[in-house]
Amino acid sequence: MKNSKKTLEVKVDRTIPAPPSEVFDGWLNPQIPGNPWNMAEKLLLNPEVDGFFYWAVKGTPHYGRFTEMKRPARMQHTWVSPNTFGEESTVTVTFKKQGEDTLMTLVHSGIPDTDAGRGHEKGWKYFLDIFLEQFGNGSRKKK
Amino acid sequence: MTLAKHYTLWCIESMDQLTDVLTAISHPTRRAIIGQLANGPARFLDIAEPFDIALNAVTKHLKMLDRAGLIERRKQGREVLISFRGEPLREVAGWVHEYEQFWNERLDQFEQHFRDKKKREKK
Repeated sequence: MKNSKKTLEVKVDRTIPAPPSEVFDGWLNPQIPGNPWNMAEKLLLNPEVDGFFYWAVKGTPHYGRFTEMKRPARMQHTWVSPNTFGEESTVTVTFKKQGEDTLMTLVHSGIPDTDAGRGHEKGWKYFLDIFLEQFGNGSRKKK
Repeated sequence: MTLAKHYTLWCIESMDQLTDVLTAISHPTRRAIIGQLANGPARFLDIAEPFDIALNAVTKHLKMLDRAGLIERRKQGREVLISFRGEPLREVAGWVHEYEQFWNERLDQFEQHFRDKKKREKK
């Protein structure tokens, strides 16, 4: 269900030294470090369109449904956890060939921007726009 | 940052501190004071000077900044110098970017896996 609530989006990318098909498959392989499934204490994973996943770490459950699966270029699934306050956010991962490597881009969108989840809106806006640059960046620089 | 730490950020204590910081920077006068102090420590009257408000009001603004941990006071001779502390703002920045940190950690490991694999294959 769509709603009109404000949301946040996070975008990160990496250049992975392998072809897109290998990177795509690696992202879905729970044996490979780095993908979210790898850290699960309990995992149910059905990576096909309309397939569901469940993973739990430290007793905290995460749920989702795969909505796109276009090997080797793109996949998308929903993401629901206590940190999304039960709201359905979306994780989209794209894999673009760059010579012998793959540019992998992950966009996590629809993260609820609620008072509890983010803080006072005006404070954040002001802070993010001005203070972070002015007083030193505490978060990671994206590549 | 570990996922465990990520979840501890939801605890009441952090939320209270967060509220103090966000409340402190939500007022234009307090933001102006922070901007002023970002240039260096200042005495109370120097801080108050640019503002067309009562000294009592400036004192109240400084108390809120103090409570949020955004300023500190230290004695220098007879004077008390007030200076800016950036740590609470950086903590808030980390908090808003939790998911960014989470995914960065994941992708760092994922990238490293492929780099290690490539090295092994070259040998």
